Amino acid sequence: MTQAARTYWRSLEELAETPEFVAFVERAAPRFRDLANAFDRRRFLQLMAASMALGGLSACGPEANIRQLVPYVEQPENIVPGRNSYYASALTEDGYATGVLVAHQMARPIKVEGNPDHPASLGAASAIMQASILQLYDPRRAQTIFGAGQIATWEGFVSALHDRRAGLLARKGDGLRILTGTVSSPSLVAQLAAVQQQFPAMRWHQWQALDRDNELEAGMRSFSQPVERIFDLSKADRIFGVGSDLISATPGWLAYARSFAAARRPSETGGTMSRAYAIESTPTLLGAKADHRLAMRPAEIVGSMQYMASLLGAGSQQGSQQDNPHAAWLKAAADDLAQHKGRALVHAGREQPVEVHVLADAINGALGAYGNTVRLIAPVNVNAGSMRQSISELAGDMAAGKVDTLLILGANPVYDAPADLNFATALRRVAFSVCLSLYEDETMLATTWRLPATHEYEVWSDARAVDGTVTIMQPQVRPLYGGHSAQQVLAVLLGGLATDDYQLVRSYWQKRAQQENRGDFEGFWHESVRVGVVANTAEAPLSLTPKGGIDAQLPSTASPQQGSLLALFRPDEGNRDGRYADNPWLLEMPRSFTRLTWDNAALVAPSTAERLGVGTHDLVEIQIGPTKLTAPVYVLPGQAADCVTLPLGWGRAAGGLGVGIGFDAYRVRTAADPWLAAITAITKTGEVYRLATTQGQDRVLGRDLIREGNLDQFNSAPHSIVEKTKAESLYPPYQYPGRAWAMAVDLNSCIGCQACVIACQAENNVPIVGKDQVLDGRAMHWLRIDRYYSGSPDAPDTAFEPMPCMQCENAPCEVVCPVHATVHDHEGLNLMVYNRCVGTRFCSNNCPYKVRRFNFYAYAHQNERPPESWNPEVTVRDRGVMEKCTYCIQRIRTAEIAADRDNRKLRDGEVVTACQQSCPTQAIVFGDRNDRNSAVVKRKAAPIDYVLLDELNTLPRTSYGALIRNPNPAIKAGES
Amino acid sequence: MAMSVSTGLPPDAPVIAPDLTMTSLSEQVSARVLSERAPLWWHIGFAVGFMLLTLLIVQMAWLFINGIGVWGVNIPVAWGLAISEYVWWIALASGGTIVSALFFLTRSPWRSATNRIAESMLLSAAPCAGLMPIMHLGRPGLFYWLFPYSTVMGVWPQVRSPLWWDFICLICYILMSVMYYYTGILPDLATVRDLAKSRSKQILYGILALGWRGSVRQWQNQRVVYAIMSAIMAPMVISVHSVVGLDFAGGLTPGWHDTQFPPYFFFGAVISGTALIMMLTIMVRWGYGLRDVLTEYHLNAMAKVMLVGSLLLAYAYVWEAFGPFYGSDVAEKTEFLRRMFGFTASAFWSEKILTVVIPQLLWLPSVRRNQPLLFLISTGIILGMWQERFVFVTSSLEHNYMPSYWGHFFPTFWDWAALAGTIGLFLTMFFLFLRFVPIVSLAEVREIVEEKRSK
Repeated sequence: MTQAARTYWRSLEELAETPEFVAFVERAAPRFRDLANAFDRRRFLQLMAASMALGGLSACGPEANIRQLVPYVEQPENIVPGRNSYYASALTEDGYATGVLVAHQMARPIKVEGNPDHPASLGAASAIMQASILQLYDPRRAQTIFGAGQIATWEGFVSALHDRRAGLLARKGDGLRILTGTVSSPSLVAQLAAVQQQFPAMRWHQWQALDRDNELEAGMRSFSQPVERIFDLSKADRIFGVGSDLISATPGWLAYARSFAAARRPSETGGTMSRAYAIESTPTLLGAKADHRLAMRPAEIVGSMQYMASLLGAGSQQGSQQDNPHAAWLKAAADDLAQHKGRALVHAGREQPVEVHVLADAINGALGAYGNTVRLIAPVNVNAGSMRQSISELAGDMAAGKVDTLLILGANPVYDAPADLNFATALRRVAFSVCLSLYEDETMLATTWRLPATHEYEVWSDARAVDGTVTIMQPQVRPLYGGHSAQQVLAVLLGGLATDDYQLVRSYWQKRAQQENRGDFEGFWHESVRVGVVANTAEAPLSLTPKGGIDAQLPSTASPQQGSLLALFRPDEGNRDGRYADNPWLLEMPRSFTRLTWDNAALVAPSTAERLGVGTHDLVEIQIGPTKLTAPVYVLPGQAADCVTLPLGWGRAAGGLGVGIGFDAYRVRTAADPWLAAITAITKTGEVYRLATTQGQDRVLGRDLIREGNLDQFNSAPHSIVEKTKAESLYPPYQYPGRAWAMAVDLNSCIGCQACVIACQAENNVPIVGKDQVLDGRAMHWLRIDRYYSGSPDAPDTAFEPMPCMQCENAPCEVVCPVHATVHDHEGLNLMVYNRCVGTRFCSNNCPYKVRRFNFYAYAHQNERPPESWNPEVTVRDRGVMEKCTYCIQRIRTAEIAADRDNRKLRDGEVVTACQQSCPTQAIVFGDRNDRNSAVVKRKAAPIDYVLLDELNTLPRTSYGALIRNPNPAIKAGES
Repeated sequence: MAMSVSTGLPPDAPVIAPDLTMTSLSEQVSARVLSERAPLWWHIGFAVGFMLLTLLIVQMAWLFINGIGVWGVNIPVAWGLAISEYVWWIALASGGTIVSALFFLTRSPWRSATNRIAESMLLSAAPCAGLMPIMHLGRPGLFYWLFPYSTVMGVWPQVRSPLWWDFICLICYILMSVMYYYTGILPDLATVRDLAKSRSKQILYGILALGWRGSVRQWQNQRVVYAIMSAIMAPMVISVHSVVGLDFAGGLTPGWHDTQFPPYFFFGAVISGTALIMMLTIMVRWGYGLRDVLTEYHLNAMAKVMLVGSLLLAYAYVWEAFGPFYGSDVAEKTEFLRRMFGFTASAFWSEKILTVVIPQLLWLPSVRRNQPLLFLISTGIILGMWQERFVFVTSSLEHNYMPSYWGHFFPTFWDWAALAGTIGLFLTMFFLFLRFVPIVSLAEVREIVEEKRSK
């Protein structure tokens, strides 16, 4: 090698030619070893010339075949245009798995359904699960690895971590910390155990903002060991919810909601129905469905639970009647529960204090719930200590300089850790920090190494449902934007290079199958992956009884003075703790009660709002501790007086689409009590902040939209609940010799969870429109869930009413379209012919149900999503065209084609609409009205079946089952 | 419908000035067309109109590039200013036909001098009306799909839709109006041709006059055709505006779904159309100095038509209010109460005052002769009718059957630009008519002069 005339260097290390650099090159890029110091002009030109020559050569094809196109002769197996293939996997939420089946069209995932074989789904898919497909494709996901502020490579990260490893090994892992959320993945747990073995001084911390500390701590106290409570609502005749998220968010809620609703359809259960009570500070779905509900301040809830416990002979008998204004109500409820021993249960939400959970455990014990309606199992989360304590210790150690290597895998503490921990400041003291995340979020931007994570649909992994059932998660698509999994990162920490996620998961299961004597591994693996459930992995029930009287030993919850304002921190329905804040479907999903989109708001009771002189859309300053929070007010009926709910998960500072939307309630959330804070003052700023809601009026205004009765009425005179108007038509009716599609929606089953809304959006390529357009009244959801209140604003009854297209027989939309763009078909559907629509919008005016949506702009084209993420079975609508619910006509046609191919009749239940499929409570039934044995005919035959606005004689095909409540006769009306 | 002309004014009040002769009439009217320079007021009026027309063109470009979303329409208020203005413009246009055709059939002498103004107004307002529904389409380029023509797909328009009836009516109406106008103006174009000094004008008007020589045979044919066309136009204008009413009566929306709307809309056309003719007549009379031809007699007669129109409208208003409260439909009732006392209350009440209460002043003969006052009352009526259409269209949609989907309509800048722009189109066209055609029907006024002379 001749001496180069001039040496170019690419980094200071290279210039110095340090031994570290040479070693680095050797490790990271051995093939460049020789070039590192010898890349002179001559060599460069040689290489360039060679590559140009090769490039030129490769461009030369066989001369004879020039310009000849090559046909796609060998069609890949099982990839048929227009036909879905499904692959089982799971999606984790707060670490707990819910089984999914991902539908693929032409080998690309387009839709998520629940896995019917999975115990936490039973076929249902929540709104968040539905929206996960959009997250997978989100072009705003993190795509680039950064190391120390520079764009780096995975190899660079591997070598950096390996460098670090040597030092850590020497120190036995002192200074090494790993931070995760709830971990239910067996393979990841095994890896963590291996890490712990290599680095005995390493500490594994856990944090997620929606922690379940109170539940778990209460379990520890009541049962002296960590427990998870699994509920069996099919056996529960009486349900008592305390701020309960039993049918809205608690792990496994989809399955709970299913059995909850099944026990509340009197026309199917033979006239019986469970009875639900709810006491809560802020409305929950269980509260909305409850037959009796009381809004209470948190302190009153504790008092009421003590009183309930003393009435039922549980707990320490502290409760007394004197100081409880709701004593009569609680007495009646307690008596009712006592009469249903073994068939009753109490559930408290994760936000309730330990005391309430302990009391709930004690009451469940007194009611004989254990072994009947409540099953206790070992928790799925292995490291089931207090997360709050864990993150506090981590933050303390970081601040004290005891941490020099931190791996953050799937947590975002800079955004959501308690504000008083100053996590971001402490993180700056960590020399080597790694963040693995789906988005370039707040934490990622604060760490030295930023690793884009793979989406759960892109990687081999495994996870457990809340009951212990394991799913081996298979990737649905190769990583779209690069990315790595937590398993891969830990493999590197363990000294390997293994980037093959498949081998990581498979080798774990190979070992485990051997241990468990599962026999033929290939068969086991194949079957587990195919079904989406590893057989017999549910946790065995524990036989435990709660210790009594321990609630008295608990430090009493500080009860703020009457009249002082309290802030309640609650997860947002769509964003949860903020991890879904970048998902446009969830951002635009109207929240069940507030019907708000694109914003969170401080939720205030009507009486409190009046006292404070504020109203919806008023911007206020909320002083909590030293911090002031500026937030818009939303006056929410049913909210407890003087309680201001602050939904978490908004006001993101970094990430994707959600940045800067809403206000960040984490700023005032502390480790001491993450669910409650005292508000010093609320002051009006005088400014108005427009909140975009999708609901016009909160009440039915005298219309018969919600038919409602109670169980006694149902059993004695069901027809009186739905008096029908008979109208005549001048025109002869349509004839349907073949099929006639129809839908039945049971209002009693609908819990208002919005799963169907997002399922419809995903299936039918419904675009999002953005906040401004929602404000202008142009939201596009084909299916919406109307929420109506009745009764007093502070203690209203809530009704949810899903509104798809009614597919009227005498459709008012059809007659007014001047160009035949909306027409009746031979199976009774109101078709919408997009190509024929000129956009007069008369059909929308004429639709009494207001289910038609118009493309005022080219929304679909403005949506930021790759073309391959749209459902190819459904037309993407252009500007100026009307659209609406089609009863998922593409699914009808697919099923018809399948039936034709097999030369058989279409079976009942073969066509499942997207909303029906996702519904956790089976509120929606769809089928052929001409088939006398179909499920939809059975639903419609119920005496409480009715149609909306029947006086207009539109003869809708979508009918509703009336809302039936089962009130306790001992509780006077108006008391709840 | 025959109007007695003898009330209000002294019995001997002349239809035209006593000293008007055949020659002075021809010269007075034709001079406006043939003069080299238009008067200053014409230039100002035309400039204003043309500027607004430019705004319309910009608005349309913006609308067609960006889509209908630039307007304030939404779901539930899918029809907004465009449709209320369509109804408003079509009512103004219909007023022209009512004056020219209906009163031709009743042989009202005051109609002879005003019919050209009325028809010019009609032809200026009709395109404004016609533009609105096309601009308002989601895909305006495809409006021609409403034509019943044979396509390869074998798809025809949907004949049950009131929109299609409306489309057909409007097209027929505009075509008929143009032919009717041309039939009437033919002899006058010949007069202008004969009086024209410059060669270019002689050729222009010569072509337009289609070789009119004034022979008895030509006159006879023209009078017969004109009378037949009048007989067609008079019921046609009633049907056109009734069909506009059916657009709403056929709609299943509280506040629209009511059989009274066809006549209701026609009543609105009577009063608002006449009011606009009143305004234009006063302007022409003042601007062109045609006091001899357009006399107080004419203004008096039109004021009376306006008065009748306001009474008819009052009657319609009463029935509109009666319906919801007589019927049992909660939605109808709520909608009407909201209309009266809700978001649109101010427009609702001011419209009633402007179109019904204030026009009652016209009972006083002195008011009917007071031109500034007549001008103001007419302006008020037109404004009031605009509000009436606006409240009618939007309030019903806002307060529909589904309380969960109630909404509001807020017009955007581009909504207002469409209104201002069509006013510009109207003014531009009307000022061009003022400049290029005899604005008073010479042939018909000559008859009156002749009758008077032979007395």
